[in-house]
Amino acid sequence: MPHPSVDPPSSVIQHHNFPSVHQTPPPRAPPIGQPPFQPPAGQVPSPASFHPQPQLHAVPMGSPPSRANDLQLPSDSSSFAPRANFQPPFSSMDSSYSASRANLQPPLPGYVKQANSVSQAPPMAPFQAQQGSYAAPIPTPPPPYHPQQGGFSQPPPIAAPFGLHSRDQIQHPGSAPPIGGIQGLAEDFGSLSIGAVPGTIDSGLDPKALPRPLDGEAESNLLGEAYSMNCNPRYLRLTTSAIPSSQSLLSRWHCPLGAVVCPLAEAPEGEEVPVINFVSTGIIRCRRCRTYVNPYVTFTDSGRKWRCNICALLNDVPGDYFAQLDATGRRIDLNQRPELIKGSVDFVAPTEYMVRPPMPPLYFFLIDVSVSAVRSGMIEVVAQTIKSCLDELPGFPRTQVGFITFDSTIHFYNMKSSLTQPQMMVVSDLDDIFVPLPDDLLVNLSESRAVVEAFLDSLPSMFQDNVNMESALGPAVKAAFMVMSQLGGKLLIFQNTMPSLGVGRLKLRGDDLRVYGTDKEYALRIPEDPFYKNMAAECTKYQIGVNVYAFGDKYIDIASLGALAKYSGGQIYYYPSFQSASHGEKLRHELARDLTRETAWEAVMRVRCGKGIRFSSYHGNFMLRSTDLLALPAVDCDKAYGAQLSLEETLLTSQTVYFQVALLYTASCGERRIRVHTAAVPVVTDLGEMYRHADTAIEKSLSHKLEDSRSSVQLRIVKALREFRNLHAVQHRLGGRMIYPESLKLLPLYGLALSKSAALRGGYNDVQLDDRCAVGFTMMALPVNKLLKLLYPSLLRVDEYLLKPSSQTDEFKNIMKKLPLTAESLDSRGLYVYDDGFRFVVWFGRMLSPDLAMNLLGQDAAVEFSKVCIVSILL
Amino acid sequence: MVKVTMIARVTDGLPLAEGLDDGRDVKDAEMYKQQVKALFKNLASGHNDASRMSVETGPYVFHYIIEGRICYLTMCDRSYPKKLAFQYLEDLKNEFERVNGAQIETAARPYAFIKFDTFIQKTKKLYQDTRTQRNIAKLNDELYEVHQIMTRNVQEVLGVGEKLDQVSQMSSRLTSESRIYADKARDLNRQMALCLEAIWLYIVEVSYY
Repeated sequence: MPHPSVDPPSSVIQHHNFPSVHQTPPPRAPPIGQPPFQPPAGQVPSPASFHPQPQLHAVPMGSPPSRANDLQLPSDSSSFAPRANFQPPFSSMDSSYSASRANLQPPLPGYVKQANSVSQAPPMAPFQAQQGSYAAPIPTPPPPYHPQQGGFSQPPPIAAPFGLHSRDQIQHPGSAPPIGGIQGLAEDFGSLSIGAVPGTIDSGLDPKALPRPLDGEAESNLLGEAYSMNCNPRYLRLTTSAIPSSQSLLSRWHCPLGAVVCPLAEAPEGEEVPVINFVSTGIIRCRRCRTYVNPYVTFTDSGRKWRCNICALLNDVPGDYFAQLDATGRRIDLNQRPELIKGSVDFVAPTEYMVRPPMPPLYFFLIDVSVSAVRSGMIEVVAQTIKSCLDELPGFPRTQVGFITFDSTIHFYNMKSSLTQPQMMVVSDLDDIFVPLPDDLLVNLSESRAVVEAFLDSLPSMFQDNVNMESALGPAVKAAFMVMSQLGGKLLIFQNTMPSLGVGRLKLRGDDLRVYGTDKEYALRIPEDPFYKNMAAECTKYQIGVNVYAFGDKYIDIASLGALAKYSGGQIYYYPSFQSASHGEKLRHELARDLTRETAWEAVMRVRCGKGIRFSSYHGNFMLRSTDLLALPAVDCDKAYGAQLSLEETLLTSQTVYFQVALLYTASCGERRIRVHTAAVPVVTDLGEMYRHADTAIEKSLSHKLEDSRSSVQLRIVKALREFRNLHAVQHRLGGRMIYPESLKLLPLYGLALSKSAALRGGYNDVQLDDRCAVGFTMMALPVNKLLKLLYPSLLRVDEYLLKPSSQTDEFKNIMKKLPLTAESLDSRGLYVYDDGFRFVVWFGRMLSPDLAMNLLGQDAAVEFSKVCIVSILL
Repeated sequence: MVKVTMIARVTDGLPLAEGLDDGRDVKDAEMYKQQVKALFKNLASGHNDASRMSVETGPYVFHYIIEGRICYLTMCDRSYPKKLAFQYLEDLKNEFERVNGAQIETAARPYAFIKFDTFIQKTKKLYQDTRTQRNIAKLNDELYEVHQIMTRNVQEVLGVGEKLDQVSQMSSRLTSESRIYADKARDLNRQMALCLEAIWLYIVEVSYY
């Protein structure tokens, strides 16, 4: 099913053959649908690992009605076959969608509950047979699963022990997976109401299997009780919420120990990060380790000294900051000092923290206008989007913008405010780039607004008849760099073909099948030309962050282009075979978000942590300026950074370890600030304790990053296998011991999802190299929640909603229950939207009511599609 | 040519605004900016009270005016007409007071009025070329007379501050050292007293036996 393009004919036929498949056993077309499924055999293990989740799914919904709903779903599992049939319509839309669908894979019917197994029996038989045949060829299945593959009836028994034992051994009865059936369900439901987080219930989502964000919140509450002054986990999140006290303990813990930092994550609603002005006294910091004052420092000596919580040094309290202590040793002015209460604060930076005055927000656009860019309609969409965003660019009235276009020559635009039309200057000497004008290539947006708009209006038509195939990206980047280097800012590159001229030209090194599986494979995924990395380093030095928008129907070597973004704290967007009709909306949305979101400029970040541990490596898009100082020319709320911890001393003696993230940045409004997040974490000596605390979510994202970065030096696939085998081994061993920690239960699921994601999946045939690199780069930068969404997208059923004549908002919310990603949840009579945070796939059930389908597709399909997108974005 | 423009509060030397993209074609821009900052510090400690002054530094000259406790400073080539430079500063001052007048005293963070940089940028361009009709007219205008404005050297100006700093340093060192001396003297006294006591005891004992 992941490869709709493989089997259009057969699927079409099927479509006609079995109009009512879901009711009658014979039509359970699997055998027919089979051949197409075989190639992606790598996907097959899904049943085993995915099956727990339907059961999990049942828990929160525990209420009788929804459970009934659940039970019903399996009977429709036949849709699994229809699904394949239905692909063709999608494949026409675009290959990227079909690729994405692969993620949706899980549909094999691993969802057999004991309770309803009777009704299921007939449908199961055929699957069992297939299952056996699948097991053998699978390249990627984690070994532990093999035994389970034998038949379908197997999974439930295995799962059941998990559920039961976890209930016994862990003191989290409510959260144990309730595989046991109805009785278990009831039990779980009962305990759920006691133990569950309020938020989980009212949203009616399943905390275990489906809703990632809720997951995070649940986790935070766990820790929040003990350390109420910690910063919100969306800013700083550890893989475990406890630190092992010795190295031996750490080595028994098989997953990486680390933290994911998302310094500018959007604050939870109603909560603002307080801004504190210390300019008059100077910011209070520890003399030795330079830690900022935070809620965990202790004041002693009747308020005259404070003890740093990170290095335990006694510091003097400056006169202006002095306050008496009350009987309990707390400062009497505690309530007026947000920095002593809140885990996240913004300090206004005094002059000492500035090497220059705060820079204005600056956006520089570097647009490819070669023939392929013109043909795909990319230029038009980009120009329109930029124009529509001009009002919302942050930092009015200081915002600066500039444009360069290029094909085999480089075109500069003079946008002086006194002009009515921009003047174009062409530089054709690619070997010795110079900037033709000293000023006015970068202009203040509010002053030159008219000229900029005139330029954007005329841009699409200007190059309409361009037949130039070449692309001089390297020199163009250099030119942009020369223009921007005084100020820094954000450089957005729109590239449509492989760079073919000047420095940084790339060869078609190709997605060579023969290289796969050899030692040279990694070379495909590292930049070919050092130019890009060097350029990125230069850019970082001058506070330029590069975002790359790559289009193109052919191989354009994302691996090389991506280096520009990776080392300058940027981001990569990839639109394979871009056509404005089908991808325009996506590009528009992403570009608009990129331009209008709150962005911090010329930032540096440092993570400090307590004695005995240290950060050994960092993952993400940035440049390491010194051993622990991350340079981030432009950082925003959608970027996250992973850091891996290592223990330095064999034994940690203290009870608690503190972490502090400090990000020195310039806000778009021109204020220089320091954002400080502080978190405290208990130290444990008990391994079981650690397991319980493990925060799966991060865990995954970190191991992913780790692996992703490692893969540049090693074979990615082999690496993946090993990594995941490792992870699964952890899970399996636990299973053997009959301990299944509540917080780790999602690990195998994510592990599987990750191994199936485009970045790691399969070999040569499965994913285009460019796709793979692009997804890899994207994942590196994503915050935890979004990454998890990408790995495990949400699936919504919308037909019922659409059929209702008058729809209320609350009704809409009811309908928007996320479904488990299994074949069972796809009803052939339904209409589904699949959302991984980046794109939407609309799935039309084969038995979808004709009216509805007519209404949707009869009219302009694209329009309808984009509408659906918008609706879901609002969610 | 105007190279660098800075606006700061005199009372505490807090920088309020700075020209955008300043010092692009100046070789040691950073060094000169440091000098400006030192100059502001000097002003903050009240060493220079002339409200208009030109300070020579290397191939450039700082011109500044102080009005309403705000110092407007620009760095120009030596060859750039003084008259124009001061008119440029006057222009800045008028606009700055008009726009931000009320908030100047309460500004609490550095570069609180950084938004002013767009105006600086614009005005700077007007004064860039000394031969435009507008600027020539200004040069010929007798109204703005700048001969009275004192010109000094930057070393001299900063030197005063330095010397004063040295003096205050010395005096503080003197204080601390004298305190140490006093402590030591007290110690000695105490020791002496102890010694005397011991001797007396000894004598008493000896005499007793």
